Amino acid sequence: MNLAAIWTVAKKELIDLFRDRKTMALGLFMGPVLIPAMFLGVGALAEKRVRTQLESTLELPVVGAEHAPNLVAFLESRNIDILPPPADPDRAVRDQEHDLVLRIDPEFGEQWRGSRAAKVELVYDSSRQDSQIPVSRVRGVLTEYSRTVGVLRGIHRGISPEVAFAVQIGQRDVATPEARRGMLLAFLPYLLVLFSFLGGAALVIDVTAGERERQSLEPLLATPAPRAAIMSGKILAACLFGMLSLLLIVVSLKLSFQLAPGPMRMVDVSVPVMAQLLLVLLPMVLVGTTLLTLIAASVKSVKEAQSYMSVLMFLPMVPTIVLMVNPVKTQLWQFAVPFLAQNQMILKLVRSEAITAQEWLVYLGAGFGAGLALWLLAARLYHREKLAISA
Amino acid sequence: MILLENLHKSFRGKAGTVHAVKGVGFEARDGEITGLLGPNGAGKTTTLRMLYTLMAPEQGRIEVDGIDVAKDPTAVRRRLGVLPDARGIYKRLTARENIAYFGRLHGLDEATIRARTEAMAKTLAMDDFLDRRTEGFSQGQRTKTAIARALVHDPRNVILDEPTNGLDVMTTRGLRGFLRELRDEGRCVVFSSHIMQEVAALCDRIVVIAHGEVRAIGTPDELRAMTGLPDLEDVFVRLAGLEGDAA
Repeated sequence: MNLAAIWTVAKKELIDLFRDRKTMALGLFMGPVLIPAMFLGVGALAEKRVRTQLESTLELPVVGAEHAPNLVAFLESRNIDILPPPADPDRAVRDQEHDLVLRIDPEFGEQWRGSRAAKVELVYDSSRQDSQIPVSRVRGVLTEYSRTVGVLRGIHRGISPEVAFAVQIGQRDVATPEARRGMLLAFLPYLLVLFSFLGGAALVIDVTAGERERQSLEPLLATPAPRAAIMSGKILAACLFGMLSLLLIVVSLKLSFQLAPGPMRMVDVSVPVMAQLLLVLLPMVLVGTTLLTLIAASVKSVKEAQSYMSVLMFLPMVPTIVLMVNPVKTQLWQFAVPFLAQNQMILKLVRSEAITAQEWLVYLGAGFGAGLALWLLAARLYHREKLAISA
Repeated sequence: MILLENLHKSFRGKAGTVHAVKGVGFEARDGEITGLLGPNGAGKTTTLRMLYTLMAPEQGRIEVDGIDVAKDPTAVRRRLGVLPDARGIYKRLTARENIAYFGRLHGLDEATIRARTEAMAKTLAMDDFLDRRTEGFSQGQRTKTAIARALVHDPRNVILDEPTNGLDVMTTRGLRGFLRELRDEGRCVVFSSHIMQEVAALCDRIVVIAHGEVRAIGTPDELRAMTGLPDLEDVFVRLAGLEGDAA
């Protein structure tokens, strides 16, 4: 392989790009500005919502409050404001006028006095994120009330309160504090993968399809430099640019997590972790660049190449969506599947989980293997007669 | 020294297969300027593209200085200086950087590149724009940059596809002088044109191409004698068989 030619081409492409100030600035600085902004912005919003919903006074419309004055008084003592009920509770919840409505059965009093289970009903919409916290708050208060009364009744009849609980459920959440923070960062992998995968897209498309359109590819390919070397030089330039842009993203992530308020501050952004993050993203840069080179070498115009972009932007989203709908256990094969593998690796890093040597091996082997396969395919396309001829 | 024998090339398009080159063959000797003359769409550019190894002929053979293009295209590209129909110079690089880029791809060292650039800039009168970025160059400045870039490695054989296209009178004159110099240095110069006067003013031998076939080969005087016509334009129209086309 002709290393001098590869470096000559790569250097020229980088000079050419860096003289195009606007394109260069957009490619280099958009990620480092946007990603932390989104993170800290969205993170702060989520934090604020959770805090206000947990701590503020909850407004709860109650149907039939008159049937259970004790229960209502208990609710009020737990920082819940009782509102008069809407005419149609189901509809009010569906129309999002209220997050939830409590309905107390008219027979509540009678059942209560007969020491039977008295009926109450929670009306809510489980598909709405916003109702989750209020529903669990009210449910918790109702359970507490039910337990308290049940225990008192038992004691009253000389029965140990423990008789009423055949099974006692203890809960132990094994999520590490780091992992819980990881949930906040669920979409970090997508953004990082997207930027490493397509961060250099404009450059990659330009150096092949654009150069062809500007008709400068024909004289270039008439030089004695091997076509594979010319293509590799272009790929190298795009990879270097992509890595520089990623480095800036990682540095800006590090700084913003260090300066961020709240739990975000606790994310491990030490230099070794950030270096691992870069290593994880490296195969993605190669795969993205070679795939785009392949596309750019096979299409007729820059416009045609660009129309592939929306599909490509969707690709890194697939594992995030699949994992959200159908969470799977981490298994070794997952580290060989493009996009899914990146997703898993980044999550592990963010959650401060150990990555085994075997996982690294499978991951890097599969990532660079895919890059190499695409590189070979692209090199084949570069040898096509049609590539050089633009008009 | 360039030898083309019985070249064939066709393209498949939406409207069916176009047989662009049908059995073109000629010889271009060292120390001579050979003109490839033909109307638009005659197959000149396709023939030249096969010569400078960008396209493979379906049939036929090309030799440059005795090297078969099909066997060793890289060696052939080293011996050729090519100015394609598409000039394609990089607008964010200066003229000098454009030339140096190709010099490096030809494997030249920096000192040679510098010396060659100075020499070419002098002969082509490029000094006042050599270190400017090529964005906004005039057609003449762009062509000069592309020619200097094509010849940076001092090739024995020079191929120029319609070099005078879009140039004004003085630039064209300067370019003719430059091509004669190349010839007098003993190089093999091939250039294509669709203008008879252009070819007649410069060429030692003319190859007339029309509809993908060679119609005639000879000096301007031989072609006049062949047709019995005194006016070169009439000679061209007759040889290329364009009379029917015009009507």
